[in-house]
Amino acid sequence: VNGLDLARAALAAVDGEAEVVAHAERSGLARFAGSEVHQPTLIEDLVVTLRVVRDSRSGAATTNKVDEDGLAELARRATEVAASAPPDEAFPGLAPPGDPPSVEGFDEPTAELRPEDHARLAAAAIEAAGDVPVYGFFTSGVSELAIASTTGLAVEQRMTDATAVVVAADEEHSGYAEQTAWRAHDVDPAAVAREAVEKAVRTAGATGIEPGSYRAVLEGYAFADLIGYFSHDSFGGLGLLEERSYLSGRIGEQVFDEKIAIADDALDPRGLPKAFDYEGTPKKRVQLVEGGVARGVVWDRKTAAQSADDAATTGHASPPEMRDWGPIPYALSIAPGEAGSVDELAELVGDGIYVTRLHYLGVVHPREGLITGMTRDGTFRIRDGKIAEPLMNLRFTVAVPEVLREVYGLTHRVSLVNAQDFYAERYPHGVLAPAIATARFTVTGVGSKPGI
Amino acid sequence: VRDLCATAVDAATGAGAEYADARVVLKRNQLIATKNGRVERLIDAETEGIGVRVLVDGAWGFACDRRLTDVGATDAALRACSFARAAAGFHSRRLAPVEPHTGTHRSPVRHDPFEVSLSEKAEHCLRADAALAAPDVLVRQAMVRAQREHKLLLTSEGTEVEQVLTECGAGLDCSAARDGVFQTRSYPSAHVGSSRQSGWEYVQELDLVGEAPRVAEQAAALVRAEQCPSGVTTVVLDADQVAQQVHESVGHPTELDRVYGTEASYGGTSFLKPGDLGSLRYGSEKMNVTADPTTSGGLGTFAFDDEGVPALRMPIVETGRLTAFLTSRETAARIGVGKGGSMRADNWSRMPLVRMTNLHLEPGEGTLEDLLSDVVDGIYMETNRSWSIDDKRLNFQFGTQIAWEIKNGRLGRMLRDATYTGITPVFWGGLDAVAGPESWRLLGMTNCGKGQPGQSAHVSHGAAPARFRNVQVGVSA
Repeated sequence: VNGLDLARAALAAVDGEAEVVAHAERSGLARFAGSEVHQPTLIEDLVVTLRVVRDSRSGAATTNKVDEDGLAELARRATEVAASAPPDEAFPGLAPPGDPPSVEGFDEPTAELRPEDHARLAAAAIEAAGDVPVYGFFTSGVSELAIASTTGLAVEQRMTDATAVVVAADEEHSGYAEQTAWRAHDVDPAAVAREAVEKAVRTAGATGIEPGSYRAVLEGYAFADLIGYFSHDSFGGLGLLEERSYLSGRIGEQVFDEKIAIADDALDPRGLPKAFDYEGTPKKRVQLVEGGVARGVVWDRKTAAQSADDAATTGHASPPEMRDWGPIPYALSIAPGEAGSVDELAELVGDGIYVTRLHYLGVVHPREGLITGMTRDGTFRIRDGKIAEPLMNLRFTVAVPEVLREVYGLTHRVSLVNAQDFYAERYPHGVLAPAIATARFTVTGVGSKPGI
Repeated sequence: VRDLCATAVDAATGAGAEYADARVVLKRNQLIATKNGRVERLIDAETEGIGVRVLVDGAWGFACDRRLTDVGATDAALRACSFARAAAGFHSRRLAPVEPHTGTHRSPVRHDPFEVSLSEKAEHCLRADAALAAPDVLVRQAMVRAQREHKLLLTSEGTEVEQVLTECGAGLDCSAARDGVFQTRSYPSAHVGSSRQSGWEYVQELDLVGEAPRVAEQAAALVRAEQCPSGVTTVVLDADQVAQQVHESVGHPTELDRVYGTEASYGGTSFLKPGDLGSLRYGSEKMNVTADPTTSGGLGTFAFDDEGVPALRMPIVETGRLTAFLTSRETAARIGVGKGGSMRADNWSRMPLVRMTNLHLEPGEGTLEDLLSDVVDGIYMETNRSWSIDDKRLNFQFGTQIAWEIKNGRLGRMLRDATYTGITPVFWGGLDAVAGPESWRLLGMTNCGKGQPGQSAHVSHGAAPARFRNVQVGVSA
């Protein structure tokens, strides 16, 4: 079923002002543990959300029954929902037709991968790990997002994505690696496994460390995760309006080290490109931080209308399940630095810690950008400018602005780090991140040794 | 629908599956949320489909299809078999034997939440939203939700069970800001309110409008409160925070699939080992934790789990000792104890996983005041705000929305930004009192994440306020 045709059919089933979002997914995920595939999941779904607007009342209904009867029932329910809503004079209206940019992000061979291919690519990771047990998955999928409305808006995009994740671990070792791309050809599960194993074998005999503030190198995996969590409160218009954002009252101020530049750039072909958001508004690059100076946040139509500063939507309306967060930067891109490798970053740090990956982050205080979590699958001491002995998993509690306040350097190489957990409808997104060397990373406790 | 399940199971066994199950789910959700006097979300969502799980030559396969047709059911079955056959490994997965069951189950509901009009639900939220108005309160939010899940499971072993589970819930959040200090207060919990398998009567019991002024007053007071100090002290937690503590540091580590490593690449594993069963000292003698899928109103309540295993109440920790794991048929067979009973999938499009059902800290005796009365110097904390725990579920750090100092058995000044941290068995070893049945509350959360692809389970925890000695509080960057 063509998404835009379906969206138009749903639109035709309702009288008056309305908007339809159709989202289709066909995906496979071969999850493995102990070097065996144990949760192989194939998904086929098609979800249609119809928003009906009556005067200033609006409401939405969703279904995956997309035959004629299903769409008629959807129209009846959405109309009833809208009629149940009280008038909202501040409703910004449906998005007008736009002209979405042409973006990459769809690859036919990736879309054509079959279950046998998912299993084969998972097996490639398992085989490359040799005797080291591996835990992870290979997944690929094709998603189609189509939006049509009575304003004349009609946009569609097909997206592909592929991710390989490997934790190589036994009782005393663990290492992590991943690759994500919109072309499955650019994801090499065997290479991912080798990277994870190489990291794991260095983690035996890990020891503890005293809590305190350390200089640190964060690999791209860790840095992307930290900035992603920070961004939900601090880089979106809703957080700014509700004063949850660290940037509240700080736009235009020097907030981070001048080496830090962060954008949201869904047009970048190195990422997982998007042409428009969930309101159909064309995507555009938004500079969030430049030279360490806070430049702005991302907006959707609703939050932009509530802004006192005449903000306009930047094309960042979220998928339905994330609407409570307001607009979200789904294509964070952190500018690289000049370091040729993480080893060069370790030299800049001199004495500190090296963090591969973070685990189970929690926002302790959004306004302060205070986040806690654990390091995992490859934490090491840095001594004399070299990555040295392994450390146990560490609990950290950091104010992200402090981590970014004094930066020794960033790698020239930037990696795309997957940021989707595949909970709801598949919406590929990730963070383009270099590795970073920072002057401050606060360790507040010691957990367990590496290994499962 | 029953015939579709049979078609899928027949197709799978015809394609070589030694075991197959087919699960049709029809699910409807309503969510109404208001913010600052406006209806923010008004959604009526439905989804339906079939999920087919197979064992072929000892390997799992799972595929699903939204089409409730013979073609959709057959396609899903055949694709699941293909995936299983292609899966890498040297599989020899076995299932603990379970007698085939047939039966039906329906959540008891007095007032069907789907018969309450959307406009009445919106008005309910708007009244509560308005009652949150207070100085310095910037954000007022109220929500109600309802869900009905109708599912039919049919297995190649002859099990055929049909269940209709209805949930209903509501909650409040408000945030205040002043001089750069930002604070949030919620009721009855910070995790999308609280839900039960119940009708609209639960929303009425929650009395959002009646509670709103207290919630707003506390949010406004918090922006003027002093920060929680650091140190090692006695902590008394309210039922909500105890529930969160049980969830993260008892529920997840006792999931036997985590113990065996199958969640290693996402949620992590467990500090527990299979050999710890019956011997590991989890906490003090005051610690009694029960898994109970028969709890009235629990979000994890059912007659049969998603493998068709009948619900069974089971002590997990008794007087501080580990006595059981949460299991599937596969993990039960592997450890050689039990027959599963904790397998749940969050929808037709996901494979069942070992999940918590309802996991309770059993009550002790006395009241919150009794717990406080034995504290010379300590902190009382209410309502979870942040949570983080390591991949083995050992090292945790929690924050609560509000706290008070305890001085000589009484609550003193209000404190903001309270956090505490610990190591699971050490922390539970410090448990020296749990309040009694009068203080025991059932809280339902809808955001328990696990699996790849991810699944959000709905689980309930019963808990009463509890007291822990020698706890590190006031963690800061």
